[in-house]
Amino acid sequence: MRRTRLASQLLAGAPRAARVSRISSSTTPALCTRGYASAVSGREPLSLDVEDEDALSPKELMRRSTSLPSPPPARAKYSAKLAALHARLSLSPKIPVETLARALIDPSADAHPRFNNANLACIGAALLNNHASEFLITKYPRLPMTILFTAMKGYVGNPVLHQIARAWGVEATASPGEEVDPGLLQFDINKPTAMHTSWGYVRAESAEIQRYKWRRGMSSRVMYDDAFGDLVPGQSSVSDKTGALEMRNDKNSKEMLVKDMPTNAHANFVRAVVGAVYLHCGREAAKNFIKPHFLSRTLDLASLFEFKIPTRELARLCAREDFELPVARLESETGRLSRTPVFVVGIYSGRDKLGEGTGPDLDSARKIAAMNALKAWYLYSPGVVAVPSDTLAEDAAPWKPAYVDIGEVIS
Amino acid sequence: MERPVLQPLRRLTASVNLTSIRSQSTTRRTKKALKIAPHPSFLDNGTDDHIVFNPPSSAPSVYHTPFKFLPKTDPRRQANLTQLLRASAPASSPSAPEVGGTPSFVAPKHNVTAEQIEEMRALRSSDPATWSVLALAKKFQCSNYFVLMCCRANPQHRQSEKERLEAIKARWGPIRTKAREDRQKRKVMLGRGEL
Repeated sequence: MRRTRLASQLLAGAPRAARVSRISSSTTPALCTRGYASAVSGREPLSLDVEDEDALSPKELMRRSTSLPSPPPARAKYSAKLAALHARLSLSPKIPVETLARALIDPSADAHPRFNNANLACIGAALLNNHASEFLITKYPRLPMTILFTAMKGYVGNPVLHQIARAWGVEATASPGEEVDPGLLQFDINKPTAMHTSWGYVRAESAEIQRYKWRRGMSSRVMYDDAFGDLVPGQSSVSDKTGALEMRNDKNSKEMLVKDMPTNAHANFVRAVVGAVYLHCGREAAKNFIKPHFLSRTLDLASLFEFKIPTRELARLCAREDFELPVARLESETGRLSRTPVFVVGIYSGRDKLGEGTGPDLDSARKIAAMNALKAWYLYSPGVVAVPSDTLAEDAAPWKPAYVDIGEVIS
Repeated sequence: MERPVLQPLRRLTASVNLTSIRSQSTTRRTKKALKIAPHPSFLDNGTDDHIVFNPPSSAPSVYHTPFKFLPKTDPRRQANLTQLLRASAPASSPSAPEVGGTPSFVAPKHNVTAEQIEEMRALRSSDPATWSVLALAKKFQCSNYFVLMCCRANPQHRQSEKERLEAIKARWGPIRTKAREDRQKRKVMLGRGEL
């Protein structure tokens, strides 16, 4: 029931004549309708089109009834931009240019789910998040959760995917419509779009968390929130049920709208391309597409850390792991009485050196050395190891459990 | 003959033990001092084809895990025989001076009973000036932090303490205020590794 209501709501954006002609002549199969429904179920339907059809002038209605909101798929074959993009990405010939054209249409340009990229982006987001998280956890098994979430954003977050789309040479239209080149990214900056690709558990108290900034701990983010530790926005409110009517649904729907439209549209295009590769070429091809394009990028994880009292945290770590207590020793110094002295301090546990740091005074050099030792602990990497998705291939070796640390040091 | 203003300066220079330091102010001496022999790997040692290995001195990378931090299952642990033998040898005397004192990681003792906590609260509420946090921690042999967890002074005492602190802060000039703010900023930046 929810699905049918949702579909009618989405269709409300398209002009009536165009809608009828599209449904009768649509040849593109409906992809992943179930996933799409689950992506938005549990929320009240949003009004995707703010304008009312009855409020429009007859001239405007006439113009709208003759033009489609986005270029028709039949024109994709004649677009030089699309062919160039297909060749530039070295996509398999199994992926038709029509699918690539569909990946370029944002729901804000065409609200019809059979013609926009929402379904493809939903699959692509799931694949990207899965591969990035298994890559990070097996490569850096001791990362704290906050750093892991930030690193996920650094590999497959919205701003990064925006950069990747720009690097792929995708340009956006000034304004979407039937007449524009299908090789351009189509999104309407003036139309509010609901978050289509945020897929996951919606907390019962999500409205209150957004409005009153309720505390949201790290372990609950692991359980309830999305792959980046961000809240999946929802409209259900706890206080509505208890009688307090201050949480109005229209206020919450404002927070469900996409904040940065161009970034979001570019990112969803990239996700939709990944989804298209998966649908037309299969799991292995999608994995081989994700690895060079996304996971091969360099992210300096060491710069993401922030410590409050590193010496205490290192002492707690050594106590936890049954090492000798860490001792800071001055290794070398220069210019102690000058204006710019340099001290080199090493941290030792027993006879083993854990870290080294340089600073302009003894205390900060000791802190930097402790921070370096902690970073060396957290950034341990076993090298190139198998990831769980390797076992999905045919004639794959049985899964050997990877080393994952018990958790971060709590000081 | 001399101006009286320079008198103290002359007295100061007379008290300093003057030793002649040979300066390198001439061109020839400066050039000679700066002439450093090239690294041996840059010299042509007869062979045409050789590798130049002269890395600049730099801070160690945090991506290089110390031997002690390798997990038991890591193959690098078994491969590094020198480190394995060294780890089993007894620790020798420390070679370099310690910085910042020996770290003390003292596990909480859990020695304060529920009755003592009640007593602590009563003392603190009766006379917070005499029974300060430090005094209570000393009496019950626990940490200051534990005392702060257990009891809370009455509002009058907290208000007077706050006013005392405000009075101290009001005496600060702009330079000291800014220096204190900058110190806090530097502390945060150090934690982020930006310094």
